Amino acid sequence: MFKSYRKAILSVALVAAGTTALFAVGASRTYPNGKKVIDGGSTYPVKHGMSSLYHVNEEAHKAHFKLGRPATPDEIKAWDIDVMPDGTGLPEGHGTVEEGDEIYEEKCAACHADFGAGGAGYPALQKGNAYEAHKTLTNQRVDGNDEGPIRVFGSYWPHASTLWWYIKTGMPHPHPMSLTDNEVYALCAYIISLNELKIDGEELDDDYELNREKFLKLEMPNKDGFVPKIDGKNGLENARKFFNDFTNYGIPALKDPKKRCMKNCFKGKPKLARISGSGISDYLPPISNKKELPKKKAGVTEHPGKKTYEASCAVCHATDAMGAPVVGNKKDWEKRLAKGIEKVYHNAIHGINGMPPKGGTTLPDDKIKEVVDYMVSQSK
Amino acid sequence: MTKLSNASASETIASGRRDFFKKSAAFSVSAMAAATLVDPVKVDAKELKGDPAILEEKPWGTSFGYPVTHNRYGQPSPYEHHVTRRNTKLLSSGNWYASIAMCPIQDLEGIITPNGLFFSRCHGGVAEIDPNQHRLMIHGLVEKTLVLTMDELKRYPSVSRIHFIECPANGGPEWRGPQFPSIQFAKGMMSCAEWTGVYIKDIIKDLGLKPEARWMLAEGADNSHMGRTVPIDKVLDDAMIVWAQNGEALRPEQGYPIRLLVPGWEGNLCVKWLCRLEFASEPFYAKEETAKYTALKPSGKAIQHFYANEVNSVITSPCPEKPWTDLKKGDIVEIEGLAWSGMGTIEGVDISFDGGKNWVEAKLKGLVLPKAWTRFSYIYKWEGKPLLLSSRARDDAGHIQPMVRQEREVMGVESVYHRNGIHTWEVTAKGEVNNVQVLS
Repeated sequence: MFKSYRKAILSVALVAAGTTALFAVGASRTYPNGKKVIDGGSTYPVKHGMSSLYHVNEEAHKAHFKLGRPATPDEIKAWDIDVMPDGTGLPEGHGTVEEGDEIYEEKCAACHADFGAGGAGYPALQKGNAYEAHKTLTNQRVDGNDEGPIRVFGSYWPHASTLWWYIKTGMPHPHPMSLTDNEVYALCAYIISLNELKIDGEELDDDYELNREKFLKLEMPNKDGFVPKIDGKNGLENARKFFNDFTNYGIPALKDPKKRCMKNCFKGKPKLARISGSGISDYLPPISNKKELPKKKAGVTEHPGKKTYEASCAVCHATDAMGAPVVGNKKDWEKRLAKGIEKVYHNAIHGINGMPPKGGTTLPDDKIKEVVDYMVSQSK
Repeated sequence: MTKLSNASASETIASGRRDFFKKSAAFSVSAMAAATLVDPVKVDAKELKGDPAILEEKPWGTSFGYPVTHNRYGQPSPYEHHVTRRNTKLLSSGNWYASIAMCPIQDLEGIITPNGLFFSRCHGGVAEIDPNQHRLMIHGLVEKTLVLTMDELKRYPSVSRIHFIECPANGGPEWRGPQFPSIQFAKGMMSCAEWTGVYIKDIIKDLGLKPEARWMLAEGADNSHMGRTVPIDKVLDDAMIVWAQNGEALRPEQGYPIRLLVPGWEGNLCVKWLCRLEFASEPFYAKEETAKYTALKPSGKAIQHFYANEVNSVITSPCPEKPWTDLKKGDIVEIEGLAWSGMGTIEGVDISFDGGKNWVEAKLKGLVLPKAWTRFSYIYKWEGKPLLLSSRARDDAGHIQPMVRQEREVMGVESVYHRNGIHTWEVTAKGEVNNVQVLS
């Protein structure tokens, strides 16, 4: 009686603290600082030396280690290659649309196709006027509508800084980090002009020269197109609030798992969607459940002496346990071959030292020679 | 006695020569040699009643296998050569250099994926990094910057955890309907392993994180120099830098020598070939967090920084690759599957035989761990009648998988990422398995 009373008090206290759904071992919906877990999920603080089902050596995580060394300013400069929306990391430089066009033709068009139209397996860099393409973001390919949303740089990306960073550190795909800052500005100018984006109300004609100052003035049509808002002092809190409201991303809230639907969860017979045609099944390699040896590659044939060697000779010649020349040991065989291959054949057929004639087999001479050839071929 | 003894074979051996070998004292040469000389007796299976697999001598029972010196790094049986990662041209971007290899989850047992089968995604090919020439740098809003060699990094106290990694595009090609007659392609952008490394919080506690540090950029050293932004909450919770996977060094496909591990979150955040962590007050807007890995909703607004892979499940047996075509009416069979949640620990899984109209509770089995694959099981009597076999998982943070219709109502069909709607297999009367979606 007393015990259950205490239990009731405890559960009330937990609910009051905002800690819900304590199903699993030690799970909590809040961090030790009292804030909700940012992704809307659980965390597993260490209690009594355990986190969930894992034992934890708490001493190990309290200890202080003096490992490594500080980075030098030159090292940081060499590696700090990111470019942020406010211009942090964006170097000075310049390049015209026309220069960008020339570089594009030489280094980019092979994959991204003419005018950034995109190629097989390589994304399009534009799909016409960005301000118009931006309007397609509400498109859904349902009910016979096959016009999807256009998600290219001009219509979708919130910040132009990402373009500069991407090109500088990731392009051209086979040779990243090979473009100068001016070449990157020129390519950015070309791509901005392909998307018909305006800077300070101005369209970019062939002579337009882009530089750091102008680049930072480019305002993207979809800059407000993303949730949660992660910029500024409230960024983390906005994310926390957004992901703790599961209805934002389609997960039904389950306040009491016992009350989930178990019977007659929809009306009538299930409405089915099936694969159209045979679907996508060009798998490399094709699916197979067979337990079989791999097919031998055409043109690759096994040495005729290999099987005999494995069956009748490997017992002594695979290791030096018996004092026999070891297959694979170049030195062992060089010694034997010094007097010529015929001498080796002769010894194999007639026996030498511990080796009985033909290794104790009744194989014909030519088979023995085949085996010797194999053993020599494996010992070069 | 149909099997022949090798005793008679010794007559063909020259006797009395066994002392010629220099080091033969330990065992009889002639007896060992004799054992290799005689072909196994062929039994005419027609004369005997029974299984040739039992009645006939086999080469592996009548001759040597390979010596222990042969495979210094062990390989799977050659008979298992069909168990591999697979690709499709649909996902061959960048001439396979910015592409994905799918994990054969139909062939996996338990919750651990062998390292050679772990799904693999890269953006500029698989880098093969010399660990002697690799460094980890930590800088930005910290009182002290840090450069570590790989040996120094491994001096921090290590932590081993079993976690899945899932690409948030797993199942993404099927927003507008089923496409793949295969579980490997419908759900194979994920795998699960035991990872060993160090908590990032254990490193930065000695560096002095500045109070305005809210975000961490993680960047790789490979061709793509891929970067992603991680909120400080996760960095101070369970984010790790890992160097080992299932007891051995990471494979190059998993970022050797080190990768970031952000348990439960988008696989893309687990930056491979990790070389740099920078702390900042504002998010970075890297290429893979604006151009890709954002989920567009019908309102035209897209979810960015969509961290966790939500609760999900799939039945792995039966599946298109492992059908019930060998079953007879009345056979008892185990239905088995995988459940996982990047937001916590699997609480339970329900199974439906009518596409989600009615549900029964399955049993969990084996280890049930946070942000790890969890096996579920249900014993069933097959009556040879068509089924719509669905699974529905829920986690300890209070989430349950939505029906396809419920998920579409909120996310539409264009979001590409984070699809976790209930998965259904159609089992035909013959036991064949088709990939379908229930839209009710």
